Amino acid sequence: MQTDYIHIILADDDEDDILFFTDAFDELKINTKVNTFKDGEELMDYLNDDQSRMPNVLFLDLNMPKKTGIECLKEIKASHKMSEIAIAIYSTSASEEDIEKTFVLGANIYIKKPGDFKKLKKLLSEVVSINWQYHTNGLNKDNFLLSL
Amino acid sequence: MKLFLKFDFNTVSKKILESKFNGLNLEYKIIGFGEVELLKKIKPEEYLALNDSLNDYGIEIVESQKGILVQKIKDTIIDMVFNEDIIVNVKSSVYLSEKLGHSYGYLSNLFSEITYSSIENFMIIQKIEYSKQLLLNSELNLTEIAFKLNYSSVAHLSTQFKNTTGITPSAFQRIILKRRDIAQQKAN
Amino acid sequence: MKRNNLFKSTSFLRVVLLLSLFVILLIGGFTYRHISNLTNSEEIVVKTYNVNLELEHIVSYLRDAESAHRNYIVTKDRFYVNTYLNAKEKVNRAFLKLEDLVGLNSNQQKNLTVLNKLTDSLYNNFSKTNAFVTDNTTNTETFKTLFFEEKIIMDSIRRQSNAMFDLENKLLNEKQNEYQSDLRFTPLFFYLVLLATLVLIIMAYNKISNDLKKIKAKNDQLLIFEESTNQSEIIGKHGNWVWHIDSNKFIYSDNLYRLLGEEPQSFEANFDNFLKFVHPEDVDKLAEDLDNMIDAEELPFVNYRIVQKNGSIKHLKAYAKSFYSADGQKRLLGNTSDITDEIESFLELEERNLELERNNKELSAFNYAASHDLQEPLRKIQTFISRLEEKESDKFSDPGHQYLDRIKSASARMRLLIDDLLQFSRTNKPDKEFVSADLNELFENAKQDIVEIILEKKAQITSDTLPRAKVIVFQMQQLFLNLLSNSLKYCKKETVPIIEINYSKVKANDDPLLSKAPKSFYHKITFSDNGIGFDQKYAGKIFDLFNRLHNKQEYSGTGIGLSICKKIIDNHQGFIFAKGEINIGSVFTVYLPE
Repeated sequence: MQTDYIHIILADDDEDDILFFTDAFDELKINTKVNTFKDGEELMDYLNDDQSRMPNVLFLDLNMPKKTGIECLKEIKASHKMSEIAIAIYSTSASEEDIEKTFVLGANIYIKKPGDFKKLKKLLSEVVSINWQYHTNGLNKDNFLLSL
Repeated sequence: MKLFLKFDFNTVSKKILESKFNGLNLEYKIIGFGEVELLKKIKPEEYLALNDSLNDYGIEIVESQKGILVQKIKDTIIDMVFNEDIIVNVKSSVYLSEKLGHSYGYLSNLFSEITYSSIENFMIIQKIEYSKQLLLNSELNLTEIAFKLNYSSVAHLSTQFKNTTGITPSAFQRIILKRRDIAQQKAN
Repeated sequence: MKRNNLFKSTSFLRVVLLLSLFVILLIGGFTYRHISNLTNSEEIVVKTYNVNLELEHIVSYLRDAESAHRNYIVTKDRFYVNTYLNAKEKVNRAFLKLEDLVGLNSNQQKNLTVLNKLTDSLYNNFSKTNAFVTDNTTNTETFKTLFFEEKIIMDSIRRQSNAMFDLENKLLNEKQNEYQSDLRFTPLFFYLVLLATLVLIIMAYNKISNDLKKIKAKNDQLLIFEESTNQSEIIGKHGNWVWHIDSNKFIYSDNLYRLLGEEPQSFEANFDNFLKFVHPEDVDKLAEDLDNMIDAEELPFVNYRIVQKNGSIKHLKAYAKSFYSADGQKRLLGNTSDITDEIESFLELEERNLELERNNKELSAFNYAASHDLQEPLRKIQTFISRLEEKESDKFSDPGHQYLDRIKSASARMRLLIDDLLQFSRTNKPDKEFVSADLNELFENAKQDIVEIILEKKAQITSDTLPRAKVIVFQMQQLFLNLLSNSLKYCKKETVPIIEINYSKVKANDDPLLSKAPKSFYHKITFSDNGIGFDQKYAGKIFDLFNRLHNKQEYSGTGIGLSICKKIIDNHQGFIFAKGEINIGSVFTVYLPE
């Protein structure tokens, strides 16, 4: 079961954001594997496939074609198989209300996409590290909420 | 109906370990959280079987000495945070280095190297984690929780909570309670 | 009241009539008695006269008989015997008549019997003396005694007859005196009774003429009222109708016909004729309502449409209520109004409201989308700039670096503007949830959000204990945040910012700023600082969108923050006021309804 890398998935339709995201992980000295999907449907197809490996952290953009991030979130939360995935909402806007709404729906992390690459790297490493702690230190995952 | 459970991970883990080790007829002694001493030499196939059966529970045999030390640091910190009987008068760094017999600098570097995070960070996360539990499952208010967790003021806890999680303690409480409401409605 | 008076006067008239009838009957009775009295006295006079006459007859017959008898004694001629025997027959006839006339008067009856016996004894004596005559023993003493007795009997008869005569006359006088006294008071009585009757009749006449006057006045009023009703019906576009339940007759007012687009009274008023005008879609419903009306004898407000003959559709509203007239007749009084104008203007208003709402929604959606969607490219620009700066900056010339810095600060400012605009449009969104919240907690949360700036500027923030209030949680927190940020932003250089938050509960009447406030109690929270302040003449404009009192090189405001505050306070039906003094500080006063 346990592998030596952290499996990360990003679902985002924006090329630039995917670029920033993968670049950031490339530059971070964390052993990660990043998969990206261009819309919600593609993502759900992958997750629903029995052969697929479930990610440790899933980054969800809210504004996606075909299936929005919220729809994906609801589906994932309803599925037993995917219940272990830590879900990070990865969005341009962040009103406190939106944040609370997604948390209530079951998201663990809410990240407002920053306008600075260094900051992005910092955020992502923080997410991975805290998630790792939750994963490895027997912390109650139900109480895992993080807004960055 | 829905039950909300509070786990004592020490006991749970201990029970699991006992059943697995007993299942493989190994002679052992549980020393502390995450540390087991084997009283006899273990055969390679037995080791693999043990590793596999523990993996089912997300338990991993930490192989390196460094890993073991990090685990010990974590155990000590968790003990400090969760166990009220340990009253820490000295700074936690001093306590840690005395308890584990290494300089704090060494422990700190080692911890960062293995976990990609700092001892301080780990300690804060544990404390915040405990305060979350207390917020949800006890009658204590935030002021009382701050006192219990040795914070100088409620504002200090509040700030640290917000800095660590990005949300305020009250928002956290609100969100979890709403989630429970929704779960309750689904169950009905 | 008035109807009551009329009621009283009719009963009064009834009493007068009964009294008059009674008086007339009384007069009739008295007259009858009087006339019958007169007739009686006449009869008595005649009777007395007849009694006297018959008595005289008897006496005279008997005298004749006596003389005849004497003659017989002297002449011994039998002819005289026949004569006095004939006289006896006549006397007997007279006795029969007298018996009749005397009737029930016992005294006279006794007298008559005595007279009869005397007559009989006279004739007895005749027979006895006759025997002497036949025997020619007239010279005897016995005969002489008998003969003398005859004379005595005759005298007794005369006396008896006189006594009867006197008695009869006395009776007559008594009766006549009796009647006389009766008759003396009759005319006076008649006169008085007639006077009383006259008074009553005059009173009745007076009353009747008064009532008539009143009725006439009432009638005039009614006419005026009817006319004004007609006019008001025309102006107010309504008509009325009366349903006489007992006789099942309808009366429609003129204007009701006009409402239907018809000439007044141009068709018979009844259900069926009315239903002909009702819009086909409404006819079933209305017919049902009217059916219920018959049972319930009341018609609740009903709305329906009618189609006039020229095809135009009107909206009518009707209402009816049962009503009992003074004589107990049950009626249903209905009123029907043409509410077409109201409905049309209502629909128009609703349409406009919807349009306004749509516009507003579109506008705020546009605002939200614009600021939201602008975030994305801007964020990317900023991220690319950071990439450029990080990776390529060593390849830039000095002006290149300068340009890069300018681009950075321009895009940072744009980010500020967009964030604030977004925040503003968020406060614009409707259907927010009001919950009871501890304002202290919201204030602490707001402080948490800017804890770095507070620490950096070493600001001193003191606050009274704030109350709980029903608020939109995020917005109230935003308000605190914006006011705190405002004070921190416009602080004096080289001076530690001091921000003081005070709370009190106030009565709207007691606070001059709350003169137009609709609620009675408000939470008053003031934010005072020792910052650069502002000229009081801008106090009103300070909350306007994009209004800035300072240039952006000096102070990095967007002119949106305080507009957001205003918006939030508006959403809470509260008030916000600003007071400033240059270089002394500013005070923002927030009023929230309790």
